[in-house]
Amino acid sequence: METFGHLAHGFSVAFTPVNLMWCLVGTTLGTAIGVLPGLGPALTIALLLPITYQVAPEASFILFAGIYYGAMYGGSTTSILLNTPGESATIVTALEGNRMARSGRGGAALATSAIGSFVAGTIGTMGVAFLAPIVVKFALSFGPAEYFSLMVLAFITVSAVLGSSSVRGLTSLFAGFVIGMIGVDLQTGQPRFTFGTSELLDGVDVIIVAVGLFAVGETLYMASRRYAGKDEIVPLKGSLYMTAAEWARSWRPWLRGALIGFPIGAMPAGGAEIPTFLSYAIEKKLSRHKEEFGTVGAIEGVAGPEAANNASAAGVLVPMLTLGLPTSATAAIMLSAFQSYGINPGPLLLTTQADLVWGLIASLFIANVILVILNLPLIGLWVRLLKIPAPQLYAGILVFATVGTYGISQSPIDLVILYLLGAAGFLMRRFDFPTAPVIIGMILGPLAETQFRRAMTISNGDWTVFYRHPLSLTLLTLAFIGLVGPHIWAYVERRRLRGPEHVPGDA
Amino acid sequence: MLNRRRFLMNSAAAGAGFAALHLTPAFAQDAPQIQIFVPAAPGGGWDQTARAMDQVLRSEKLISGSQITNVGGAGGTVGLPQFVNQWNGKGNALMVAGMVMVGAIIANKSANNLTQVTPIARLTGEFEALVVPAASPFKTAADFVAALKADPTQVPVAGGSAGGSDHILFGLIAKTAGVPATNLSYVPFAGGGEALSALLGNQVAAGISGFGEFSEQVKAGALRLLAISADKRQEGIDAPTLKEAGIDVELFNWRGVFAPPGVSDDDKAAMIKLVETMAKSDAWAKECKNRNWTPILLTGDDYAKFVAEDTARIATILKDLGLA
Amino acid sequence: MSTSNQQATPSRLAVPELSIGIGLLACAAAVAWQTLAIPVSPLYSKVGPTVFPYITMTGMVILSLLLIVAALRGGWQPEEEKETPTDWKAMGFVVVGLLANLLLIQPLGFTAASVIMFVLICYGFGSKRPLRDALLGLILALAAYFGFARALGVNIGAGFVENQLNTIINSIISMLRA
Repeated sequence: METFGHLAHGFSVAFTPVNLMWCLVGTTLGTAIGVLPGLGPALTIALLLPITYQVAPEASFILFAGIYYGAMYGGSTTSILLNTPGESATIVTALEGNRMARSGRGGAALATSAIGSFVAGTIGTMGVAFLAPIVVKFALSFGPAEYFSLMVLAFITVSAVLGSSSVRGLTSLFAGFVIGMIGVDLQTGQPRFTFGTSELLDGVDVIIVAVGLFAVGETLYMASRRYAGKDEIVPLKGSLYMTAAEWARSWRPWLRGALIGFPIGAMPAGGAEIPTFLSYAIEKKLSRHKEEFGTVGAIEGVAGPEAANNASAAGVLVPMLTLGLPTSATAAIMLSAFQSYGINPGPLLLTTQADLVWGLIASLFIANVILVILNLPLIGLWVRLLKIPAPQLYAGILVFATVGTYGISQSPIDLVILYLLGAAGFLMRRFDFPTAPVIIGMILGPLAETQFRRAMTISNGDWTVFYRHPLSLTLLTLAFIGLVGPHIWAYVERRRLRGPEHVPGDA
Repeated sequence: MLNRRRFLMNSAAAGAGFAALHLTPAFAQDAPQIQIFVPAAPGGGWDQTARAMDQVLRSEKLISGSQITNVGGAGGTVGLPQFVNQWNGKGNALMVAGMVMVGAIIANKSANNLTQVTPIARLTGEFEALVVPAASPFKTAADFVAALKADPTQVPVAGGSAGGSDHILFGLIAKTAGVPATNLSYVPFAGGGEALSALLGNQVAAGISGFGEFSEQVKAGALRLLAISADKRQEGIDAPTLKEAGIDVELFNWRGVFAPPGVSDDDKAAMIKLVETMAKSDAWAKECKNRNWTPILLTGDDYAKFVAEDTARIATILKDLGLA
Repeated sequence: MSTSNQQATPSRLAVPELSIGIGLLACAAAVAWQTLAIPVSPLYSKVGPTVFPYITMTGMVILSLLLIVAALRGGWQPEEEKETPTDWKAMGFVVVGLLANLLLIQPLGFTAASVIMFVLICYGFGSKRPLRDALLGLILALAAYFGFARALGVNIGAGFVENQLNTIINSIISMLRA
């Protein structure tokens, strides 16, 4: 097959000592910036763009690819250990991963995340190499109507993470909608919920919300019950790495996560967050260890979303390399790096710059291998972070959160928002409101709104677009089954026996 | 194409250079140090302008180094007050801004505006392009305008954010065609990639954006270029200007530099000279070519006059679009 | 949550939960106020910028009413949370630490503000060695600052980074001497 020849050639480009060095620098740097909330791969690559004046295109793209993949690994490490997601794509990882870390399985959580990322990253990169033309055709068939239907499906699916009470879960979700709507309305350019502040015109960054609710909220909560002597962190219980049972519970979620992440990542409005939500919800539904979700932490809830986010990172490269379409901030910056070499990214990129593109794809494979080699031995070291005494650990987390939020924007308003959300997170924890739906609402809400309004504008107010398009209709049907199915099933079940009606947990 | 040797030579220095990448050169030189204020996050057009300037100014030995500060947000209206107040009187400072900021100042009803800063030079512009999917029935810009006149609501047009340069151009085209701006079916997208995919997926009738966003798709035959908004025909682009197509509109998404308020006349003159020398260098011409920027140099008072005129024109169209 | 229609006796009214419900209702009111403040755009769009905010507001009103009803029926806070006494002193120090960081980060810079916050939070969590904490905080803040922000060339205010750091280091040295 022709692709293999190209790929072999790509490896010959990437496998020079110098380029391997760039790959190593990139993955290390990527891991480091992935750890910091607020400092993501897009910003880092933007700041490193001047390097394109000094080195060959191959070298800089290999560096950037390393940063891109590395950030995904780094983001999960802090999500799991410190409940402080470094990247928006790793917010979901914190839900179960941090629970696992607290109950002594942090090593296993880090291992499943690293290996899952490797597996999914490799599957995704193979997808880029072999399936790109097909996937891109599928992705382009998604118009606003299809996206809206996909959002409806996502809402229904993720309602599984709403927690123990649907009223409180929905309250959290609606709070997320409100936060998501802050800023200039994309469709009409009008400011919404800004209270006249120009800093709010661009909206609130999802990472600030996640770090505020999770990390700051948790610090306040822990302080408030310092004498209770509960919620002690157990640094390590049992084996450092994964046990046989944990392997057995991980591999299916990895594959499912990769299959969800890759195509959604390839969609122009897909992103990395939605596949992680979907994967989490699906794993929770399918798991035979539901009682571990939200309590001691279920490994499926880490393995699936982690695989999904790395596969979607690969998916993003599909429209970028085949059509020159930047569908994420990182892809857009990488494309502008192409431009500073005088290369115009577009549908002809693959033919005119075959060396570069295949070298880049090969270096993605290499980056994945380097990252897993880099991360697995480090797990032992990372887990020791949990042995830091509580005062210094929590104080450190807050310093960390500050670097990310203030360091980049230099806006005290961001800190005010961070701390207010921390207070909200504290109250939510005290009064048993789940925090994850806030994040879900904030990401899915505005997307659903935008796509709905876009579809209505394009169709000139014709509602039928949502079921006239076959793809959209399929998605809506799936959503309907998802909505009605469990109720019918639950009704049948309830008639058989009266189960427990209140399941605690799911903070 | 690159051969292996050049590749290795380039890369050999890079290993050592990487660590020192962001350290400004410590050695003293006669050339001045300058500070560039970018009222946008790293990576966007203004930031790239600043970084390209830094590169050219240093390679031409016009400055010994520069320091770039990014304060992003709200089309530059978060950074502008800071430049006006905290950078007041700094003779070695420049702010990158452009048409997008003019629009944002009006739409956000910002308290500060570009009359408060000192215009130095307009550097580059990107003209816009009107494109349709390859399968579209529109063959010329006239076809497009005719359909627009018949029923604007049936001609959904994709572009960048509401009130941005793409939207403004659409408004201007409609205005010359006598179509009320409020009837236009404009579908804003957050990024170029998303708007492009809507065009490639045949979800909208036409698209308006910077020429560079579409050029490769046009070359590959996936999109048809109906017209460009430049002042004259461009070399290597097989499409009329809007004016040639009978639509009396010309629009550049321009970018330029401003000094802070309160700088001395000497500083201002020196800065204009510095920027002018840079803009006339071969290195700058090469940067512009790589990035699809059209060099449209205009300095000092002429630039100030241009900014004032453009502000007035944009204010009118934004009012028509209900954004001011 | 009970679905029976019992009369709520005053003793069963849960005050904290009630205030959360009322607070949420107030939030819904704020949403309504801000939605009314959205300028009506004459732009052609089939669905305007206020439609989703109103839907959200309606949802919030309904949810807050449901929460208030639940509060009147005795609330929902888990027993475990209710029984755990709040350590106001520890929380107070954490909050003061956060506020100090917020107020001092602009005048003093990132490092100094972080160190102050670090010490206050450690103290709140029961650490009795503020000097060691200050040193730890300093190392952490400097590492974070130089390791990440500085290496990537992110300027925290043009030109004053080095001066700032020097003053911070000096002020900390003098603080330690004092």
